[in-house]
Amino acid sequence: MKRYKYIFALIGLSMIGCSDLEEKPVGILAPESYFTSMDKVEIAVKGAYSYMANRYFMGRETAMTLMLRSDIVEISDPNTSVDRRNHNDLTDLANNGQTLQSWKIMYQIIAAANQAIAGAELVTAEASVKNPLIAQAYFARAFTYFHLVQQFGAIPYFDKPVSDVAEASNVTKTPVADVYANIIADLQFAKEWLPNTQATRALPAKSAASAYLASVYLTMGDYPNAYTEATDFISKKGIYNIELEADYQDLFDADKSGSSLEPIFLIDYIGDSSIGNYSTDYLVPLTGIRKDNQFGVGQEGWAVMVPSLKTYLSYNALDYRRQVSFNATAKFGAVDGPVTPYTGFKAADSRNQNQPYIAKYTRLRGDTPGAEGRASSQNYIMMRYAEVLLIAAEAVNEIPGGSIAEAEGYLNLVRARARSGGVTNGNVPSLFPIDAIGSTQATFRDAVLEERRIELAFEQKRWYDIVRRKLGPTVFGASGLEGNKSFTDANYLIAIPAEEVLRNPNLAL
Amino acid sequence: MNLKNKITFVLIMIFNISLYAQGGYRLSGTISDGDKMPIPGANVIIANTTKGAATDLDGKFQVDVKKGDVLQFSYIGYKMQSITITNQKTLNVVLIENNSQLDEVVVVGYGSRRKSDITGAVSSIKSEEINAFPVLDATQALQGRAAGVVVQSNNGGEPGAPISIKIRGNTSINASSDPLIVVDGFVGASMPQANDIESIEVLKDASATAIYGSRGSNGVVMVTTKKGRSGKLSIEVNSNYSVSNTANRLDLLNADEFAAYQQTFNPGYVQGPADTDWQDLLYRSGSTTNHQFSFSGGSDKINFYASANYFKQDGIVINSDFEKITFLSNIDAQVTDKLKLGMNLFGSIGSKNGIATQSTGDSANGGGDDVISLMFRFTPDRGIYDENGDFTTNSIGENVDNPYAVATQRVNETKTDNYRANLYANYDIIENLTFKTTFGYSTVNETNGSYVPSTLIANDGGRGGTAIISNKRGTTVLSENYLTYKKTLGKGDLTVLAGYSYQKNTTFRFTAGAQDFIDDDFSFYNLSGSNTALIPTSSLVEQEIQSQFGRLNYDYDDKYLLTATIRRDGSSNFAKNEKYAIFPSGAIGWKISNEDFLKDSETVSNLKIRASYGLTGNQAISAYQSLARFDNINGLYGGSIVSAVVPDQAANENLKWETSYQTNIGVDLGLFNSKVSLSLDYYNINTKDLIIADSSQPLYLGFLTSASLKNVGEINNKGFEVSLNTRNITNENFSWTTDFNWATNKNKIKTLLNGQDIYLDASPSYFSRADTHILREGEAAGVFYGFESKGVWQGGALPEGTATLAGAVAGDPLYNDLDGSGVITTDDRKIIGNPNPDYTFGITNNFSYKNFDLNIFFQGSQGGEIFNLTNVQLYNGDSNATKEVLNAWTPTNTDTNTPSIANRRDLSSRFIEDGSYIRLKNIALGYNFPSTFTDKLGMDKIRLTVSAQNLLTLTKYSGLDPEVSYFADSAGSSSAGNTTSGFDFGNYPTIRSVNFSLNLKF
Repeated sequence: MKRYKYIFALIGLSMIGCSDLEEKPVGILAPESYFTSMDKVEIAVKGAYSYMANRYFMGRETAMTLMLRSDIVEISDPNTSVDRRNHNDLTDLANNGQTLQSWKIMYQIIAAANQAIAGAELVTAEASVKNPLIAQAYFARAFTYFHLVQQFGAIPYFDKPVSDVAEASNVTKTPVADVYANIIADLQFAKEWLPNTQATRALPAKSAASAYLASVYLTMGDYPNAYTEATDFISKKGIYNIELEADYQDLFDADKSGSSLEPIFLIDYIGDSSIGNYSTDYLVPLTGIRKDNQFGVGQEGWAVMVPSLKTYLSYNALDYRRQVSFNATAKFGAVDGPVTPYTGFKAADSRNQNQPYIAKYTRLRGDTPGAEGRASSQNYIMMRYAEVLLIAAEAVNEIPGGSIAEAEGYLNLVRARARSGGVTNGNVPSLFPIDAIGSTQATFRDAVLEERRIELAFEQKRWYDIVRRKLGPTVFGASGLEGNKSFTDANYLIAIPAEEVLRNPNLAL
Repeated sequence: MNLKNKITFVLIMIFNISLYAQGGYRLSGTISDGDKMPIPGANVIIANTTKGAATDLDGKFQVDVKKGDVLQFSYIGYKMQSITITNQKTLNVVLIENNSQLDEVVVVGYGSRRKSDITGAVSSIKSEEINAFPVLDATQALQGRAAGVVVQSNNGGEPGAPISIKIRGNTSINASSDPLIVVDGFVGASMPQANDIESIEVLKDASATAIYGSRGSNGVVMVTTKKGRSGKLSIEVNSNYSVSNTANRLDLLNADEFAAYQQTFNPGYVQGPADTDWQDLLYRSGSTTNHQFSFSGGSDKINFYASANYFKQDGIVINSDFEKITFLSNIDAQVTDKLKLGMNLFGSIGSKNGIATQSTGDSANGGGDDVISLMFRFTPDRGIYDENGDFTTNSIGENVDNPYAVATQRVNETKTDNYRANLYANYDIIENLTFKTTFGYSTVNETNGSYVPSTLIANDGGRGGTAIISNKRGTTVLSENYLTYKKTLGKGDLTVLAGYSYQKNTTFRFTAGAQDFIDDDFSFYNLSGSNTALIPTSSLVEQEIQSQFGRLNYDYDDKYLLTATIRRDGSSNFAKNEKYAIFPSGAIGWKISNEDFLKDSETVSNLKIRASYGLTGNQAISAYQSLARFDNINGLYGGSIVSAVVPDQAANENLKWETSYQTNIGVDLGLFNSKVSLSLDYYNINTKDLIIADSSQPLYLGFLTSASLKNVGEINNKGFEVSLNTRNITNENFSWTTDFNWATNKNKIKTLLNGQDIYLDASPSYFSRADTHILREGEAAGVFYGFESKGVWQGGALPEGTATLAGAVAGDPLYNDLDGSGVITTDDRKIIGNPNPDYTFGITNNFSYKNFDLNIFFQGSQGGEIFNLTNVQLYNGDSNATKEVLNAWTPTNTDTNTPSIANRRDLSSRFIEDGSYIRLKNIALGYNFPSTFTDKLGMDKIRLTVSAQNLLTLTKYSGLDPEVSYFADSAGSSSAGNTTSGFDFGNYPTIRSVNFSLNLKF
């Protein structure tokens, strides 16, 4: 027996562990069992909007592409990355890293939206509960596909989560017309189910769906529908709680734009860099002046992008919007030191150009915890009421028998606001811009596009206007704002990254 | 009894149990060799027991025996002798020299073998080699000691830097190539202190490693710690002190030279007020202190060994140091004739104060957190402080803080507690059949705190100071149980082993942080004293492995050897359809020298050939990697930070381990009574099912993790190893021995996903973000990739076959225009270098004359290339520079191969250099005080050693040091060394040191 007691002890010691080796992760979410309630669906909807505020989209990469491709913003620091220079020169690299990042984040927004929409189908709830929530996902999807189709033309289109990777990796591009049809359907659903107003303009309400519908129709050249949608919006602006902001400057004041009634949909950065790329925007440093201390030490810019001098000079000197949109002076010494005009910028740092810089992001950026103005508190306005007015104006002018006077009326509302001035010029009303009157269809067509260029400058609208109106040969010709760029029709579309074509050769078709 | 008597009594009880336990009498004697020289440290053991003694310095021993006992006398390198006790009172034994170390016992997985019976490729490193010079980590002591084992610090001479070992090349691409470390049978243990190690065995081929199955691919390092021996209590004190300095400096421009240099291409440059030699300011004389105290001994029933060790290193760069206290104890008890119990305990606490080096360039403006690279590039015409008393920032290029500010202001402290306990029981069930079970637990608790104060401008100063605390707690529970059966069958010896093992690893991590502190003095010790809390994180990872294993050894007539092993591993990490893996191996050996026709040869004292083949694995899959997953992200929604869910990856139910198919053929040859022993090994390792991130998955699928994993790759390592030991001269007063090892390894990628090249970028993120390395079928893993430099464009027509980047002006670099397009684009890149050496070697000469001994150890590497990223930065114009930059092209200095200075970090062959070197790793002179002297002091041994490390390095490399290890994107990750090695950038400099040590034994 004595011998056996040791054996028992040994067996006791060795009887440890017998496992089925199944992984039971804690803190990681399994797709098959995740969607159990509308709360979970809402968390998935938040995924789409979280991606939208990620720097790779309008906080940096996508925004830079749109700015630089336009005729109003060019490269300041000539040694800045080749990805950026390529977009400005309209000579797309086969593999432009900036395009790749921008492409990826847009599809991540879409994948997250698709996941939320599909997830909602697994949850039992009343349409009146379910639809207003997933309408946000529909809006996010439409909003993002609208950007993609304007940039790349025909693209891979998914409206469901990807489960079969092999199959999804082999799809062919969906034609532009089909993409637009889907965008319209999504926006119509969103317009039907979203509430009239939201607590913040960072979330889409009916107004956002309606304004984007108008914009989509305008882009497609469907002017009657654009007109119908825009005027429907204008007639409901009271219900939507939308109005033009009195002072144009307040739209670009981080402390005021969030409570302004003019923005319809915006990305709300909150001056917080704690979650890295997901909360950090970069347009402040990217458009800021090197070594400029006018906004405080350590807040100087990188001078990556600057409007061409001709762009600046194309504004009437008395137009309040010129003062709001540009920093024509800087302070290279102390904050309370001497003021340097833009003709002295380059002497302060070789990466600066002797040109006024964009002020819409830098001037009233709010709290910026990141060095050099990273992670600002700016609201990046994606759509605002002035644009809806200009859509109505442009559309009615194109409709056979449309009233040019009506068109001028919408346009003049925008000009009147500009004339009234504001805090940045000491609230002095100006004579400019004068009201449009007695236009012909042709002169008004030019006038409204010019108005969009001035009014919506640096808000990522100009490139899309050039594309939809086929302005390339004109605006990139010898008399263009940035000089001759030997523009061809191929330049209207951004090349789908070669890497992505390699992964799915069908994208080359 | 008073207290003193009580203690005396207790001590007698503990140490002299044997006095009361004996029934026989005490026998004394001496052991000497054929030349009548006493052999100290020889073993005297009563057969079939653990009772015995060891000889003292004069070869004397005492042992309690009774009539009929069989005494076995043994010493390494000598033939064992057995003498049966009749009633001798004294015994003077002469041991005959053996055929070298053939009867040495070598530790292998789950057992040990006589070295002469080994059929695989195993290298042994003994205690004397491990302790030849002081090392921070015992792993370092392996460098140059074993053929095919490449050891390197991950960060030069940084105090507390991790050391990486690579055995027989890179067997993987994405998984770790680090070997499995087994300490006293505990799988995956951390290295004990060098002084506590008895021996290290490196298992290299499948015959030796397949018993460790899915973790055996990269080789196994078996560490055996010291055990007590029955006999006299022995106390040892070992003290080391060393002084160290940087081994090399760069010859940089001073303030005047720098300003003049800037003005050649930056005419508006205004020279600053100071002249600062940042290297002078940041380097200091470092020191290392190591004290070890151990005591050991035992009776016939219980043996023990216990030690405590204190290590402190002050680095050669200000504000960097490392401190570690280690305890170890081993107890073995023979409870009954059949049952033996034992326990190993290990504990250490370490504390590392680091400075930021090897920056990835991601966390601050353009590498502004990297003390070492800043020290070279920062403008010399600025002082530490500006006229306002603030730290200066760079006058050119990125807005970075000065290196002194970064080194002194940033706090980075890592505290590591490491504990391990392993209990075993060994039971002889019946004759020839033994059961052994071990149960162990280990825990590693590592806390890192960092603080970047608001005084740093370009770092996180704009955020009002940033503190981050991260903690990792890893635990391992291990239970191993196996039966060993030994039986002599006629002329054959059979040993069979079968066992079961279960291991569970758990890792829990969390981080917390805050920004915008109300006072920098808080460092990271008061997170609530801040205005912004960073989002905390935490995670839990659990992994289980359960395995069955077995081994059969059959030796016939001491001529023919057969080894077969198998292991079946199941791992929770493996995907649903691939939970279990089987790893078999087999090996044969033929001791030709024991055949009749050679048995009596005077020349050939040993000749054995061995061959093995087997499969081993690499658990390249992390936990939960094969599951379909959502992930949660923190993002902005409606103007607030929220937690949100997004699709992360699709399921991959067929993901499995990587498998190495290994062949090894070896010859062991001993000549002239083993005065010369030579081992040759050839191996061929084919690793299949390599896990490769399938980036062929389009980004438009929109997953958070854009690449999926696939088992598609194949990589091959072929190599040849030579290890030669000679005893050149051995006589009464003088001896000279030489150990030489040499190894060559050829690494080749055989298959990649769809045959597609994989480009890797390992440069700091503020460089061009260009590809730096390429993985291509038919090439070695991780060769350098870039433009081929063709000198300087003088303007005018381009020389045939060359071109410049678009928009170039005269003085810009010329590159080989591979596609003939007339302009250099990414299509003109090619393979421009290979960081893998052609061969590595180590050579040790040991001389001893009377009481003096001299050890000279050279170690080297031939044919590996280095990508000198430090120079890429220093030629960039927005940096200080080495004097060579003054020879750059200018309109008036056109006869040069150095292009004009410009903001341009294009990676080209211009920056690739030969990294071959030979290094005098250690030279040590020791003196043992004669026993006549030590006896008077009542001591067994007094030894003094003076040694110097890295005294001499012969290399053509122009950078600081040819042993480089910069891994930008995956700093510190275990797989980075597979594919992105050979970069010199921001490494903590290698040190040169002079060391004094004193060993005392009582």
